[in-house]
Amino acid sequence: MTNEDKLKELLKSRGIDASGMTDEAATPKQAEGCGKLIDIYYTLKNTVDMEFPYWYNRVWQENGSDVIIVRRAKALAAAFAHLTPTIQPYERLVMNKTRHVRGAFPFPWVTASFFNAQAEALMKEASAPSESEADSVSIIGAGGGNVTKSYGNIISIAKKFGMRKEEIPVLVKTCSYWDGNSVEEMSNHYAKYTPQFDIEQAIMDSVLCMFDSYCIPQGREVINYYLPLQYGWDGIIELCDRRIAETMGESDGDGLMGMERGYYYVAMKHLAQGLSRWCQNYADRAYYLASVETDAALKKNYEEIGGVMAHIAHKAPSTFRQALQLTLACHYAEVNEDPQSGQSIGRLGQVLQPFYEKDIDDGVTTEEEVIELLEFYRIKITCIECFASAGVTGGVLSGNTFNNLSLGGLNRDGLSAVTPLEYHIIEAGMRCRTTQPTLSVLYDEKLPESFLLKAAACTKQGTGYPAWMNNQDGMNFMLMNYGPEGMNIEDARAWCLGGCLESSPGCFLPLRYNGKVTWIPGGAGPTAGSGVHFVGLPKMLELVMTNGYDRRINKQVLPAHNRKLDSMEAIQEEWVRYMNLTIDVLNKVNNLQMDIWRKYCPPVVSSLLKADCFAKGRGLGMMGGRYNATINFESCGTVTFVNSMASLYRNVFKDKKYTLEEMLDAMMHNFGFKTSYETGVFSPDFREATDEAPKYAQIFADCVNAPKFGNADWEADQFLKWYEDVMFGLTRQYKSYYGKPLYMCQISVSTHGPQGFITLADPAGRLAGTTYSDGSVSAAAGTDKNGIYAIFESATIYDHSTQQNAQMNLKLHPSAVKGPQGTRKLLDLVRAYMRKGGFHVQFNIVDSKTLKKAQAKPENYRDLMVRVAGFTQYWCEIGKPIQDEVIYRTEYDD
Amino acid sequence: MKHIDCKNYIYLDCEKGMCALSKMMLPIDGKGSEACPRFVMAEKCGCCANFDGCDEHGIGTCAGFEKKNWTYASCGAAGCEHFKMR
Repeated sequence: MTNEDKLKELLKSRGIDASGMTDEAATPKQAEGCGKLIDIYYTLKNTVDMEFPYWYNRVWQENGSDVIIVRRAKALAAAFAHLTPTIQPYERLVMNKTRHVRGAFPFPWVTASFFNAQAEALMKEASAPSESEADSVSIIGAGGGNVTKSYGNIISIAKKFGMRKEEIPVLVKTCSYWDGNSVEEMSNHYAKYTPQFDIEQAIMDSVLCMFDSYCIPQGREVINYYLPLQYGWDGIIELCDRRIAETMGESDGDGLMGMERGYYYVAMKHLAQGLSRWCQNYADRAYYLASVETDAALKKNYEEIGGVMAHIAHKAPSTFRQALQLTLACHYAEVNEDPQSGQSIGRLGQVLQPFYEKDIDDGVTTEEEVIELLEFYRIKITCIECFASAGVTGGVLSGNTFNNLSLGGLNRDGLSAVTPLEYHIIEAGMRCRTTQPTLSVLYDEKLPESFLLKAAACTKQGTGYPAWMNNQDGMNFMLMNYGPEGMNIEDARAWCLGGCLESSPGCFLPLRYNGKVTWIPGGAGPTAGSGVHFVGLPKMLELVMTNGYDRRINKQVLPAHNRKLDSMEAIQEEWVRYMNLTIDVLNKVNNLQMDIWRKYCPPVVSSLLKADCFAKGRGLGMMGGRYNATINFESCGTVTFVNSMASLYRNVFKDKKYTLEEMLDAMMHNFGFKTSYETGVFSPDFREATDEAPKYAQIFADCVNAPKFGNADWEADQFLKWYEDVMFGLTRQYKSYYGKPLYMCQISVSTHGPQGFITLADPAGRLAGTTYSDGSVSAAAGTDKNGIYAIFESATIYDHSTQQNAQMNLKLHPSAVKGPQGTRKLLDLVRAYMRKGGFHVQFNIVDSKTLKKAQAKPENYRDLMVRVAGFTQYWCEIGKPIQDEVIYRTEYDD
Repeated sequence: MKHIDCKNYIYLDCEKGMCALSKMMLPIDGKGSEACPRFVMAEKCGCCANFDGCDEHGIGTCAGFEKKNWTYASCGAAGCEHFKMR
């Protein structure tokens, strides 16, 4: 008997099902149809077209006499109802954002200034003759679906999307209507009234803060599927009629929001009608395709699709497949409302369990068929694209849209919430390896071992999912943050991830189906983001050292402090002072942006799909959701900052080897090396010396050798503790547009690339322009010398449940977790971190040599995926700075 | 006519689509983009009886609704309640 067999026997004797610990090779291949769709997917370009914005714009324009929420609902409903339905052969689940598979579109009602400023240039480009025929039909190169340059009849938009030339005049004409009226421009108008607006502008110019709130006003939140699953679109329309009759003209004793209810229900009725028509259009298209199809199997498939779509166009679902398709329709509806990332699916395996259970019991479907549908679901979610600026789409999101599906956690009664369907969701993720939805396990000691082993087996396949989140930390954060709004322990149990790592509030609602009531979890609050978007902590330290002057752009960004920085305390005080000022000015402007958004571009779809809005008759933007203290402050480069502080402490103040001026001089001269701007390499391990290198050799060595976070060394770790304690109180002094305190969101997403790019060399020896450390508690690459458990020790030096999240990335060599014993080892590793109170850990289980080969020849690695910081993305679709950073992360092989 | 104007054309991206009948990839531009004998006109604003006054950019007027408004020829109209094939 092998060791692996012995282990399985041992687990079995303890009542643990070890089937999840399958060998890597034992996972079945993806369903045949999925394989065909993925093969097509790999050839597709991200495409922007104008159908949706055209219809939105037209109907918005034509309904100026409506109150705004109704006007917007009509515009959205028309846009959904007029979208051209696209169904590919072999698809079993259907619908898209647009008529293109990886489609997207601009949202000029949110931001139009770029297109209006570029209108003439765009029209000129559209009118220019195409290149040669050969050129016009071929473009070859790295980047997967990204259209980074214009070619032939395709215009590159935001360095990611292709738009056909004939659509450019439509883009220009549509956007011109919004000139001066978009959320961006209206909020800019009022932002100028905020005190110290000039400082806010300088901060944005320096990229000390990454982007404005209006860029992606929604997302980082969790959908609530309860209403459509319970009532269907026709049922919702009937409910609206009833509520309109009850509330229209009635203030209900409330002089403001009471009267709003009637308008809200009128808006919801229009929206439900539009969504119903959208589903029906897919049914009609499916029936047409069936009518011309000669292959019997494909014909049957189209007919089934037609049946599903025709049913959910009106009625509540009565099968698992219908329910899954309806949730997908809701998801696409959400992501078409505004530019957004991180519209999360929530705990889908718990929401749909009643439908799955009934179909299995009735023999309507089989477990294999369910897994297959869930594979198709993965492909549909992977196809979701977000159209935003190049900086947001590429620099922040790396092209991903963070549609997170959470698993596990606890149910309303405080017991394990794991369902049989959730095993299948993981299995589908193992068979059909796509970037989305990413999976997140809400780890709790109460979860079944077999489920955790299954999840670990999936993680170790190298897909980057599931990531692991600490359920108790999450619940504690919920109670602390939403307790003042009345959250109790039951609702706290309904939390999950919105976006990659944005812990979001939820609640349980009673789904009546199959003769019983099941309390299903779902989202209960607006975006758990959209506050201050990514402040570069190391850049802030740089500004402290340069008296507020940004030497990269030669501009005074923050007011000169003119203080002699003669102690660590002085540096800390000035850093806090600068941070206070930065949050103050940014928060005011972002509050204005989001206030204009909720008033003039109110959320409608998400006001239907969020707990309590419908019951109250109040939109999500007007605090119709159950919990509203959701707005955050996002940081970037935590450990780069901590290491810099540790080096200053050691080299300048403790050992007194250098003066602060000498340190600054070395930083300004990049320690005698070429900058990454000059070399084009963003990896911390690449250095090309200049003639000045010998002059700075000793100080560089001392900086590199100073204590570093991640080695269980208090001298470095103390600065993380100090930072977290300070920021806990500091962020809570500022109020969001909902009048609730901010809190910290500590995910880097991809901002550690661009924000590293704008930051000069730092006191820890990181060179100018190179990428920051990722996450918030990942060790800076190559600096963790004492093993993984030392990183855990350093990371948990503060209470993770005090903030929305903390992010830890680890890279393991596949050999470290090989075989069934490796699965157990991986789970033990996760468990050890969770037991110490760590909030989150995610893994890249990949050989660095493979990544280097893939960087050299991306065309040979189209399907290679990596975990960045909270999401999984195709290697060939992420920018080089992040690629360099992932390659350089410390790789553990034992 | 081109494949992209056919009812059996399945949109994929800005470069290409697929024929629902043959399952072949179809380029939008250049060689191979011309429609085949099995062509069936797709519902688009450009072939609607309510569409008029098309300019050099493909933008014209839609008179199919209570309020006239501009539209563009390549806009899909499969879901339009007032579409009438010209």
